[in-house]
Parts: sequence; structure tokens; C-alpha cells
Amino acid sequence: MKSHNRIKAGSGYRLLQDPEVVGLMVIVPLLVILPVLLGEAFIYHVFITICLYAALATAWNIVGGFAGQLSFGHAIFYGIGAYSAVFLMQAGITPWIGMVVGAAIAALVAVAISFPCFRLRGPFFALATIAFLEVFRLLALHFSSWTGGAAGKMVPLHIGWEWMIFRERSPSLMIAAGLLVLTVAVAVWVRHTRFGYYLVATRERESAARAVGIGTVVVKLKAVALSAALTSAVGSFHAMYLTFVEPQAMFSLVFSIQIAMLPLIGGIGTLLGPLLGTLIVVPLTELARGWLGASALGLHGFVYGAVLVLIVLFLPDGLLGFLQSRFPAVFGKQKRHAADLDAAAGDAAPFARAARQTQVSDAAEARSMGSGDADDWIVSAENLNKRFGGLVVAKDITLTVRRGEILGLIGPNGAGKTTLFNMLSGALRPDSGTVRLQPDPGSVVIPRSAHAFAQAGLGRTFQIVQPFAAMTVVENIMVGAYLHHGAFAEAHDKALDVASRLGLWAYRDTEARNLPIGRLKRLEMARVLATDPKILLLDEVMAGLNQTDVANAIDLVHAIRESGVTVIATEHVMKAIMSLSDRIIVLSAGGIIASGRPADVVKDPGVVEAYLGKDFQYAPA
Amino acid sequence: MEVFWQLMINGLMLGGLFAIVSIGLTIIFGTVHVVNFAHGEFLMIAMYIVYLATTSLGVHPYLVAPPLIVAFYVVGLLVQRFVIQPLLEARDPNVQIFATVGLSIMLMNLALLLFGANIRATPGEGTRALIHMGGFRVLSGQLVIFGLTILVVYLLQLFLAKTHLGRGIRATSQNRAAAQLMGVDVLRIYRITFGIGLACVGLAGALIAPMYPVAPTTGTYFVLIAFVVVVLGGMGSLKGAFVGALIIGIIETLSSYYIAPSLKEVASFLLFLLVLIFRPTGLFGSGQAME
Amino acid sequence: MSKIRSIAAAALGIACMAAAGSASADVKLGALFPLSGELALLGEESSRGVELAVQEKNEKGGLKNEQIRLLRGDAVDNNQAIGEARRLISVEGVKAIFGTYSSARSVAASQVSELAGIPYFELVAVSDDITNRGFKYVFRSNPSSSDFGGAAVHSIVDLIAPTLNVDPKSLNVAIIHEDSVFGSSVSGAQVAAAKELGLNIVENLPYAASTVDMSSIIMRLQQAKADVVLQTSYEKDTILFLKQSDEIGFKPKAVVGAGGGYILQPVADAVGHDTMEGAMVVAEAHFDINPAAAPGLEDFMTAYKAKYGTGPRSSHSLTSYVGTKAILDAMEQAASFDADAIRAAVYALDIPNGQTAVGWGVKFNVKGQNERAQMLVLQWQNGKLVTVYPEAAAMGKFALPN
Repeated sequence: MKSHNRIKAGSGYRLLQDPEVVGLMVIVPLLVILPVLLGEAFIYHVFITICLYAALATAWNIVGGFAGQLSFGHAIFYGIGAYSAVFLMQAGITPWIGMVVGAAIAALVAVAISFPCFRLRGPFFALATIAFLEVFRLLALHFSSWTGGAAGKMVPLHIGWEWMIFRERSPSLMIAAGLLVLTVAVAVWVRHTRFGYYLVATRERESAARAVGIGTVVVKLKAVALSAALTSAVGSFHAMYLTFVEPQAMFSLVFSIQIAMLPLIGGIGTLLGPLLGTLIVVPLTELARGWLGASALGLHGFVYGAVLVLIVLFLPDGLLGFLQSRFPAVFGKQKRHAADLDAAAGDAAPFARAARQTQVSDAAEARSMGSGDADDWIVSAENLNKRFGGLVVAKDITLTVRRGEILGLIGPNGAGKTTLFNMLSGALRPDSGTVRLQPDPGSVVIPRSAHAFAQAGLGRTFQIVQPFAAMTVVENIMVGAYLHHGAFAEAHDKALDVASRLGLWAYRDTEARNLPIGRLKRLEMARVLATDPKILLLDEVMAGLNQTDVANAIDLVHAIRESGVTVIATEHVMKAIMSLSDRIIVLSAGGIIASGRPADVVKDPGVVEAYLGKDFQYAPA
Repeated sequence: MEVFWQLMINGLMLGGLFAIVSIGLTIIFGTVHVVNFAHGEFLMIAMYIVYLATTSLGVHPYLVAPPLIVAFYVVGLLVQRFVIQPLLEARDPNVQIFATVGLSIMLMNLALLLFGANIRATPGEGTRALIHMGGFRVLSGQLVIFGLTILVVYLLQLFLAKTHLGRGIRATSQNRAAAQLMGVDVLRIYRITFGIGLACVGLAGALIAPMYPVAPTTGTYFVLIAFVVVVLGGMGSLKGAFVGALIIGIIETLSSYYIAPSLKEVASFLLFLLVLIFRPTGLFGSGQAME
Repeated sequence: MSKIRSIAAAALGIACMAAAGSASADVKLGALFPLSGELALLGEESSRGVELAVQEKNEKGGLKNEQIRLLRGDAVDNNQAIGEARRLISVEGVKAIFGTYSSARSVAASQVSELAGIPYFELVAVSDDITNRGFKYVFRSNPSSSDFGGAAVHSIVDLIAPTLNVDPKSLNVAIIHEDSVFGSSVSGAQVAAAKELGLNIVENLPYAASTVDMSSIIMRLQQAKADVVLQTSYEKDTILFLKQSDEIGFKPKAVVGAGGGYILQPVADAVGHDTMEGAMVVAEAHFDINPAAAPGLEDFMTAYKAKYGTGPRSSHSLTSYVGTKAILDAMEQAASFDADAIRAAVYALDIPNGQTAVGWGVKFNVKGQNERAQMLVLQWQNGKLVTVYPEAAAMGKFALPN
């Protein structure tokens, strides 16, 4: 988990293109060089303090920023690291081992605490972490024979590298800086690899993340464990530096909140933010204390609180966010490719181009698709039942989807189409009944969760688009591509490829939150296509498109099918669904009332009665 | 056995105290969906104001309640308008939490600045008179708190159910977008709700001040308890918060006696965590702690 | 001509000597206390005692004819405490550090000073750990938690039991305390002392200082039929305990506080003088003490008011003043300002009881603890805190209200 040497050589160049990484590479060494140059022993202490706080802030940011889970209890892990090192030292074991042991314990505790709490919304997760912290502190006070209770434990003053205690300052600075480098390297690694993308996707839109195959709970647990282990390591070192631990200082709520404040001020969820926040806050607090602290009790605290409120109000994205929006060329990731944008504006038929580009070269293979071989099923749903309270939404639904077909699902509003869709994609569990997939002939799977469905080869779009707002277009698509392409370079190439096919090339570095709805729909499609699905569920993908675009979209879906993908689509645009589908299933009041070729279904009196009515006039015969 | 029942009564009285502190938080959370970490500090400021009023003007603390309620209502409007409202549309929903944390730090240090670190005990004629009920003891002030809490809960529920404004508040708390579509001025509702919530805090301050000494750090304890109560009661449910507060009061009193005083908070926090994890809708349903 | 030359030479020589004299550096000493943050009030108060002692010494000519420069450090938290200690030692080059009021800060900072080989003089903090580490250069002039605890327990045997006319072993003793290092260390000492004297401990209850309700604790004490309650507490819990005991109807025969909230006038005012009547406190110093037993106390009060405008807010400044004064006197006798020379001089210090502004003398035992530091027993009488024991220092007579 802590292997920071996984940054491959080839990706070094790519890393250097991230302005934050460059910033880190400039600032971190300065934190070591400056004190050595200045030579004054007290300066060492200030920089050691900065390194420690920055390391804690960076580690916190992995959970609080990347994963978006606000933890006000990180002092738990810091305290575990501190006490572990001290316990083992008193048993004669070097604190270096204590550091590792503490990190392992902290990771386990983190997983145990977080797992039940993840489904809590932001503020309640934060409250739960506070409650856990208080419990730890009170227990540490109570079991005084172990922990020394309120009086704390003193670290025996053995000198040397073995014991992490020194008379001179510079070795301590080396260790503190080393911990900072470790946490920063881990953060950089996390952000630039699949794990990091998965984390951010989970934070942005957990349901969409699951739909592209991300095991969101496992991803978050890994992040929490990693963050806890790093925090604990810092705690172990700090205990040796202070040579004294006590519950009040080690399990301190105020300290926990301070750690969270630093990334907030610098820029939460960024790589450089935590360090920037530390560089601003720590010296300023010292100055304020020195300047204001003597004059009146509470004045510098008041100013600190006021500054915090002001920063949250006016710079909610922190200093880095502010710099990124003011000077995007230097600090921001968002680049506008002017020439490409102009070209894209004139491109009126992206779907058409995409359709053309998705042609399968082997025409024979294309013809064999959609032959409707009844035994070659790819999705099989048996006796699906679902009720919400007293409302029965799915009544004993059984259906089979043949490999290579385009199946249309229609029905009046309230028929239960979305629920069926959700059950077929694993987003909803049926009360009874099973959904089976056969992605390749002969291999049947029964997935149990949304991400398992995705991993088995079933992709879906959402009726209301669910982009990962904070990520750029190419990053969004990469999240999908990562399912089958673990390395950054491959996923990136695949994403660019899909982006260009869907006319999003010009917007590849635009943040998703800045796109209009039309492009967001294309992005939705691109992301799911990047997962190389074998089955594609399209949830009202035509909604809001004009006539021309509908026609092009139909072409695209045909092309997708011809490339070997089975499609299930639900639509209200009758013209589209009729011309698109090989077969139609009609749902009404939770049950299937008709199934067959479009032309036949249209004539079915039950269907007409339930639904078609005047729309029928516009459907092609 | 007598001891047990006296403990139960102590617990109920303590619960009454927790309840009046938590009502404001429940209303604010239930509607505006903001977790106000500065809640305890507002209570602390209210208690200090009561202290000042009683010691310098010589009035009875209960008499400070009406002006305090009005003043805090206005403060609530302002806080919602200038601190919370700008953040409602923030990219990261967590920033609201940081804003209220910053506010709590400001308020605590403001109290330190203005009043110093010393404890202040508010005098209150007749608030600590012993009342014997069937062999058990309660203090008059505690009964007042208990009774007024019930009254306030009842009145607020009436207000929410029967008045136009109350319906607007309920609508907004259930579905903000739909309420807006129905013509409800949601931002105004938020301001009013925050105002009502803080007005309750003002009342709580006036009632509590003669019972407990106040110091700048008093707020921290109360805010944690208030959150436990709100979660237990099912966020946004006034009745639930009341019952939740009584439960916590009884648990603290009993565990303090039968187990150990130093572990009584552990008991409350563990209950809190259990409810959050296993029944995030709170003991009385309808809560929204979950995703 | 030769006369003028010799006068010139002499003048030059004198000028050189004078120049050499003024070029000699001041001697720097460090004062490390929490000056901001939650402990600031009493940390600041404690540091004032050091300032007054240094000012007094400087006015009398300084330390070994050199003016003392007192450099302040703010020990706002443990990390800062060691940072400031390092700064004072390495950057400022202080010869010794005086501190610290808070036991935690003291322990942290003195670990630094010990590693650096600089003497550390604790003046106020009580935790036994401070002098139990086997360190060479750490000294404490004030009473420790053992002294606090021991004094409280001894007051049962020496004062309470005789006044009640009972065997001390027949009394039910209950110990309650707040759960930080102050309460834990003092109560631990109380338990040890009580066991040694064969007293009957019926309850030992820690509680969180932030508690808002002590009714359950009081009821437990009632059930245990506690006759004497030993409490170690800060302001709020003192007020809560005494008021709620009164309301619940728990009236032990005696209540003995150990410093903390029990010595503060605002606490007595908040509790109510009637309820407070008879409550005892063991404290290391008190202003209202028989002047004959505490020479220099009045001068201290005068100097304090002159420098700070108001009277002292607590007795911590008095305690630190006495400790600093004694150490400075020792340093005057030291061969040099080397750590070992200072250490030798400090160990040689022998100030008998009755010769300092707090009443007790100064002589350090092998652990660095002042073994003459002793506790006074005070009692609230008619809303005022009166010294009742030892007799030499007493201003009033001990009595137990019935």
C-alpha cells in the first residue's frame, strides 16, 4: 500500500506536465535546504513542524479531498502511531518498527471504523469520526495502566538513529522531510493512476462510478487505510520528537480539525493544496500568536476563526482553486484548444461520423449479428419482482435478450421501465428473481452488485446524465477505459479514441461541469463505450435530440451493435425505438404485456390500448 | 430501588436540558440540512448575555428570555443570509461544515476576549428551589426547562402543521426543488428557519444559565450532545429529538452511577455510533443521515 | 610630563576596564509558560512571579553583577513547548529555563533541556513524573502531587478526626477528581497516602472536567455513606459538586479540595458562601497568611500591584516568585553559569522554613524535588479563605460546621 516506487519511469514525463507536481518538486526540497542553509537550530524546529503538518494534511487529503469523506477524527490514527511507537520502545523495540506496527493497526482501525460509516452523508460521517475520536480519547484516559492515563508516557531518552532521538536537529528534519516526501509521493501516485481516478469518480458520482465497474466501497476503504497508515507514521515520529505522549494531545479534536483546515485553505482535493495551506497557516499562526497573543487572550484565536470563515466564503476552493481560476494557463488543467473548438463548432453531425467510424470491417460478421438465435442468450431475467412499500413495480418479469439483438423496451409512464432497467444493471436488487448474464457463450455469471454487472460486461447510460463534474472529458472517459486498461497510457489513448469518435475531441480537456447537456449526453455514451461493454443499456438516450440527431443516433446504435454489442434501449421517442429495435417488449403496470417485432407489437390491441394511441401515426410501418 | 428512580428522574431532568439545547439544532438541520457546528457556541454566548444582564441590570434570568429570543432570531437570519446561504451552491457540500467550524472558533475566542477564561455563574432567584415530588427531588429550574421544552415542541409542531409558513417549511425540508416550483421562496424559508432555530437557542440560554456555570469552552460539550440527540431522534423530528434527549439523559445518569462517571460519555457516543450505523434514519424514522 | 603620562595611562586603563565591564553580556534566563491558548490565564500569572523575582534581583545589582535578561517562551502546546525550549537554549543561549505551570508542557520541555544539559527549574506544576525521571538537571521548587495528596489525607488525621473526636480509620473517605493529569496525579497520591495510613477509601471516582451534571456521582457518595470527600478539581466542577451536593442533601462531615477551583474567590461566590462554609483546601501558598511566617509577602504584593496594576489573580505568581528567588540566590553562589556549577549551587541551597514569602523553605532532595515545600491547609470561613494550618502560618482557627 505504501509503495511509492510504483511511479514508472515512462510516466515521469507525464507527471512533470502536471503543474502541481512541479510545484511540489520545487517546494519540498526547499523545506530541507532552507533550514540547513540558515543553520539556526530554532529554524529547524519550525521547518520540522511545517513538514509534519504538511504530511498530515496531505495524508488527510487522500480521504477528505480525493475521496470526499470529511474526517474530523484523523487524530485517532496519529495517536495510534504515537502510542504504538512508545509502547514498543518501552519494550526495547526500535520505534522504526513501532512506526510500521502502528501504521498497520491504524489501517485496520480505519477500515473497521469507516466501513459501517461510508453510507452516511458528509456531515454525519464527520460527526461519526468525532464520536470515534472521543471514545478513543476517553478509553485512553481510562485504561491508565496501559497508556499512562492523563499523565501520559515519557519516552526513555535513548539517543541515536535506532531510537529516532537526537541531540542535533538535522536528523529530525531529515526524518520529517522524509515522511513528507513519502506522503506526497503516495498522493501523487494515487492521483495519477487508476486508483486515484476511481477515488475521484466515486466521490463525484458514486452510482455512475459503480456503473463503470468500480467497486466503490473497496476503493474508499483502501484510501482510508492508506491515509490512516501515513498519518500514523507521522504520529510515531512526532511522539519520538516530543519524547512525551498524553491522550489530550494525541487524541485531540482541535488538532484533527486543524489538520483538515490546512488542505481546505490550500485547495482541497489537490496535490499542492495541503502543502500550500500549511505554508500559509503555520507561520501566520505563529506570527499572529506572537503579535496578538500577548495583547489579549483569545484575540488571535478570534482572528484565526474569522479568517477561516472568510476563506470558506470567498475562496471555497482554497488558494490553489483561486489561482487556477484566475491564472488557468499556469495553474489550471483546463486548456482550451482553440483550433479544435472551431472545427468542432462546425461539426454538425458527430453521431454520423461516429457511426461511420464504428463500422466493422468484416461484413460477414455484421450480417450474422441480430440473427436472433434464440438459444444464444446474453441476458436472462427470471421472475423479477419488486415493490416499493405498497406499490408493485415489477410483477414476475421474465425476459431473455439474445446475443447481438437490439431490444427495445417501451411502456407508458409508471410502467416500471426504469426499475426494470435498474434491476437489469444491478443498480437495484429485485425482491425475488435472478438476472443472469452470459457475456461469452458458455460462461454464465450472476452478478450481485452494480459494479459486478459492469465488470461482467454490462454497461449503461443514465437518463439524467451523471458526469464526474470535477474531471475533464478525457478523464471521465478514462474512468470507463480503466476497466479493461489498467495503465494510464493505454486508458488515456483509448479515451481519446472514443472521444474523437463521439465528437468530443475538442473538449477533451474541458471540465465536465462546463459542458452543455448535448455534449454531456455524448460524454455519457463515450464513457460507457470505453468500458468495451458486451451489453449496452441505453436509458432514453434520444431525449432532447432534434430530428437529425435522432437519425444519427440510430445509426450510431446500429453501428455499435454491428461491432458486437447487444443493446437494450428504453425510449419515448417512438420513431426512434421502432426503427432501431429488432424486437420490442412492452411493459405496463409492472408486467410485460407484449413482445415481438415492432410491426407486430404495434398492432397488438392490448398495447394500443395501454399506450400507443396517436403516437402510432408517426411510427414507420 | 429508590436510588434507581431518583437516578431516572435526574436523567429525565438532564434530558430536558439536552432537549431544549437540541431543538434549535433539529429545526435547522431538518430544513436547511446544514450541520451547524457553531450551535454550542451560540448557546454559550446566550448564557453569557444572560449572565451580563442579570449581574449588571439585576433582572431575573427568565426575564432576559423574551428579548434574547428576538435578538437571536435576528442573528439567525443574518447568519443564514451571510454565512450559510452563499455556500448553498458550493461545489463541495462539505464547505458548509468548515464555515460553521470557523464560526465556532470565532465565537469561542470572542467570548474569551470579552469575558476572560473564568467561570461565570448566573444568579437566579428561585431557580434552584428544591421540589419534593413523592419522595424524589427535582429543582424548580429543571422542571421549568422540562415543561417549557414540551410546550415549545408542541407549539412548534402546531406551527409547522397549521400555518402557511409552517407548511412552507415542511415542504422545503422534504423537497427543496419541488417547493420552489410551488412558489415557495426557499431562501426566505431557510432564513426564517435558522432564525427560529437560534431563537430556541436563546431561550435555552436563558433557562440554562442559572443552572450551570458558563465558560468559553462550555459550548463544545453541548454541541456534541446536541448532535447525538438529533441523530437519535431522527434528524428533523422534534418529538424524536425530545425523546432522544431523554434517552441520552437517562443513559448518562445511569451509566455514571452504575458503571463509572468517566465512561458516561463513552456510553452516549457508542449509542450514537450504533444508531448512525445500524439505523441511520434515527430511532424515530424519517431521518436523512444516509446517502 | 611623566605625571601626565601616568595619569593618561591610568585613565586609559580605567576606560578599558569600564569598556570591558559594559561589554560583558547580560546573563540570559528563559521563562517558559503557556501564554496563549486555554492555559494562558494561569500560565501568564505564573510567569509574573518569575518576572518579579528577576526584577528584584536586577534592582539589587543583578546576578553576579550582570543584569538578567529574561526571555519569554510561549508553551501553547507540547510541540510548541519543545520548540520554544530549543529556541531558548540554542538560539538565545539561556543558562537555565524557568517554567511551566502545566505538567504536560513541563515534561515535554524538560526532556529537551535535559538532552541539552541545561538546568530546568519547575516552579508551579505538580505531576510527580517531573522529578521521577532520574534527570540530572531538572528541579522543582513547589510541592508535588504527592505533597498535595499527602496533605489532604493528613488533614483527615491531623485536623478532621481530632475535631470530630473519632478514630480517623473509622471515617469513610471518598476521592473524586477530574480526569486530566492534575486530578489523576493528586488523587493517585491521595490513594497511596490513605492506604499507608490505613484509612478506609470507599470510592475513587474520576470524571470529565467538562461534565454538566454530577448528581450520579453525589448519589454514589451518598450510598457509600462518605464522611470525608477529597476532591481535585478545577472551577466548574467545584461549583457543580458543591452546589449539587447541597441540593441533593449530601452533607459530608468534611470536604477537602486540592488547589484548583477551591482556592478561587469567584468560585466561592458562585457556590454561595453558606454552602462553601467550612470547605477545606490544601494549597501551596496563600496571601492571607500570618506575616510573621512569611517574610517578604507584603513586599511581593506591593511590587506586584506596582508592576501590574491589580492584585494577583491567584497564588501561582507567589509560588513562582519564591522559587525563582531561591534559585537566583543559589546561582549567585555558583562558581559559574555552567550547568554543573549551577547544579552544585542549587543542591547546596538550604533555606529554612519561615524565611520565604510562602512560608516554606527550600532544600532539594536527590531527585531534584524541594523537600521543604509543604502545603498549607486553608478553610473557607464567612466567604473568605483563611489559613488554618500549620499553626505558625494560621490566621484563623479550624472548625467544622455541623
